[in-house]
Amino acid sequence: MSITLDQVTKHYAGAPVVNDVSLDIGDGEFFVLLGPSGSGKSTLLRAIAGLSGVDHGRIALHGRDVTHVAARKRGVGLVFQNYALFRHMTVAENIEFALRVRHMRAGARRQRRQELLRLVALEGMDQRLPAQLSGGQQQRVAVARALAHKPEVLLLDEPFGALDAKIREELRRTIRQVQRELGITTVLVTHDQEEAFAMADRIGVMNLGRLLEMGAPHDLYSRPATRFVATFLGAANLILARRTPDGIQMGANTVAAAERSADVDEREVVAVVRPEEVEVAASREALSSGYLARGVVAEVVFTGALESLRVRLENGVQAPLLAQPDGAAGASLLVTRTQHEQRGFEIHPGQDVAIGVRRVHVLPTPLSSFTACAASPALADALSRQPLLAELAVRMKTRIAMRAEPQLGVPEAACAADGPFVGTTALASQADCAHRAEWLLRRGAQDLLVLPEHAAVPQRVLIHWMGEGSRSATLAVSASVLRHLSAEAVYVGIFPQQSARVRAQHGMRDLLDARSEAQLAHGLEMRTELRFGDVAQELALRLAEAPAQMLIVGVTELTRFAERFRGLLDGGQWPMLIVYRGSP
Amino acid sequence: MSFRQPSVLPGFGLTFGFTTFFLSAIVLLPLAALALAAASLHWSDFVHVVLSPRALGSYRLSFGASFLAAAINLVFGLIIAWTLVRYEFPGRGLIDALIDMPFALPTAVSGIALTTVFAHNGWIGRYLEPWGVKVAYTWVGVTLALTLISMPFAVRAVQPALLEVQRDLEEAAETLGAGRIYVFRRIILPAVLPALLTGFTLAFARALGEYGSVIFIAGNLPMKTEITPLLIVIHLEEFDYHGAAALGVVMLGISFVVLLAINLLQAWGRRRHVRAAH
Repeated sequence: MSITLDQVTKHYAGAPVVNDVSLDIGDGEFFVLLGPSGSGKSTLLRAIAGLSGVDHGRIALHGRDVTHVAARKRGVGLVFQNYALFRHMTVAENIEFALRVRHMRAGARRQRRQELLRLVALEGMDQRLPAQLSGGQQQRVAVARALAHKPEVLLLDEPFGALDAKIREELRRTIRQVQRELGITTVLVTHDQEEAFAMADRIGVMNLGRLLEMGAPHDLYSRPATRFVATFLGAANLILARRTPDGIQMGANTVAAAERSADVDEREVVAVVRPEEVEVAASREALSSGYLARGVVAEVVFTGALESLRVRLENGVQAPLLAQPDGAAGASLLVTRTQHEQRGFEIHPGQDVAIGVRRVHVLPTPLSSFTACAASPALADALSRQPLLAELAVRMKTRIAMRAEPQLGVPEAACAADGPFVGTTALASQADCAHRAEWLLRRGAQDLLVLPEHAAVPQRVLIHWMGEGSRSATLAVSASVLRHLSAEAVYVGIFPQQSARVRAQHGMRDLLDARSEAQLAHGLEMRTELRFGDVAQELALRLAEAPAQMLIVGVTELTRFAERFRGLLDGGQWPMLIVYRGSP
Repeated sequence: MSFRQPSVLPGFGLTFGFTTFFLSAIVLLPLAALALAAASLHWSDFVHVVLSPRALGSYRLSFGASFLAAAINLVFGLIIAWTLVRYEFPGRGLIDALIDMPFALPTAVSGIALTTVFAHNGWIGRYLEPWGVKVAYTWVGVTLALTLISMPFAVRAVQPALLEVQRDLEEAAETLGAGRIYVFRRIILPAVLPALLTGFTLAFARALGEYGSVIFIAGNLPMKTEITPLLIVIHLEEFDYHGAAALGVVMLGISFVVLLAINLLQAWGRRRHVRAAH
């Protein structure tokens, strides 16, 4: 491995900017770190270069641990967005800088310089000053300069940001060519997904300081695992659907999923439909793909090669629900069509069309949508406005449904509302909360989010499960929640006091197992803590230690639930997500 | 090159008129009067006044101490400016404001203050005395006073230039393998050199013209601690206006030559900087 990052974390003013990033980049690989501004990608690159230290974790270059090695001794080449050329030096002096530092003889320096100038196609420019070169040429000089001392790793920090489109493309090709010719391991940081697709062997997508997903461009595009990657890499329609044995049920119609899933549970899922996978036709019969719904064309934009449409789905029971809360405009579907398709069927705004879907990808995330549940519609409505819930729904691009249960908490009473519990059920934290929580869990709610009135976005999420049966589900839910928070994840292992001696060894092993499972199966990096004592008591103690914490707890057993969780739930000041997976 | 340059703002004629008028009225006219006054002196008298041992001694002290003060400020001004620009620390605003104090203080006050501290029985002077170091009433005291009053010029000239040195450049140099001293020598210094020279020039010019603070701490011993401006005042007090004017002209001449030389040096540096610029 050329570059190995192990749980790299960097805080700035208390908040993590880079949050537990682990990553292996192979020899000669062109790796692109992609993310919106503020996602921590540049900070991570600077940490690899040694220009900013890390708070936790380890960085190794070619097997050499460089975590505490100064930038000048790391042997990396770095190219900046604004070129950072030495303006008082000629092109030749700039390129030879690293060689002069290393006391290389003039003859050898000149030879290396000629080599590099040839590589970046700038022969004969030796004696120019940076001010006399165009932006593209300056960046070529910067690349040559960064390569002069034959670094083991080339780092590029948004190198095309300041260039216009044509030159950008040309320089992209040059850099890719140089990289292939030298076989040098390269990391490029960008916010431009097109650039990432064009250059990368592998892309790592970052958001909120976390490395969310990694993979080959095509894999990431066609099979994203998270909402963020699905919507950040190109456009995507997120649709709340239901996974059934027959396929993916969206509204009244069922479409076959793009890939088989081992998950046989019938439940609500988030489906991704790329705009180019949507088909529009005059009638249902004219569609060549699976019928989804009817819609009205709201907008037609001509963008050259493609035509981009917004189709508003006809409001009705049959229309599938879109995950994006689209405001007053109502849910609309993004569609792109090629010239060929446009010629086959011309479309105008206001036209009534039939919509088909060619390919559906289902996100593996266990959190699809929220349902605010309370004793009356008014209370449910108030709960749906709870700041943390509202924030989570926005970040997860999902919706909050409402469900009134007048008998909520009354023993033996049946559910008043029709249908099963869908998605994550939200419940307001109050005096008699433990009973209500048990009531809901016993009646089919699987993921239950208990929210104190003023709970804000947490900075630390504690994770614990009781019973191995809920372990994998708890990890999956935790990973999904944490992708949308810039919080640190801490797994708290708790063992009874008296058996400390024997259990401690098991405990350590369980802890490490949990960590590696979180990492491998869910891409979640978490810290671990070991405690001894009563579970609910220890968790309450831990939660009381600092503000802005959240608890995710997995349970398999509802016996004496209210009793055991009273201390944590009744009037608790922290949000708590209960993941219940009863043994069948 | 045409005399008239096209500009976004109209009114070259008007502004140029004001420039010449203003410079003439404020700068050239008084200087011409000074030269004229000196010219009324007979040539041999003129030589006698300006080349008297006492006058020569005062030139040496005035120019020497000013040069030394400017040089000290060149080094420490850079360090102070660097600290203020590069670091965040409590009280930075206060220190930044403190830099300008010598501007605002009447120079005589600075002189009195320095004398209080450095006289042989002063706060610091009394501890230096046993070591045989005398500050007050020696050339050291003169240099000290000149350093104090010319310090803001050096700092304020370098500060904006340092602000403009991009962090990226240093970081780029660092990743290329350069150590701190190398980065300072090859990256930072070349970038702030013109500003440093400007600061030096301003400090030097300010020190040359200083009078108020020096006379308190200098002791004003002829040939030893007597600066030229003081000698001029002495001539004036003896109603020897022509002698005073003659010394003034000499000072003017030397100052002009020195400042011109520094300016040329700067211009040469700038040209080298953008050697082949379009």
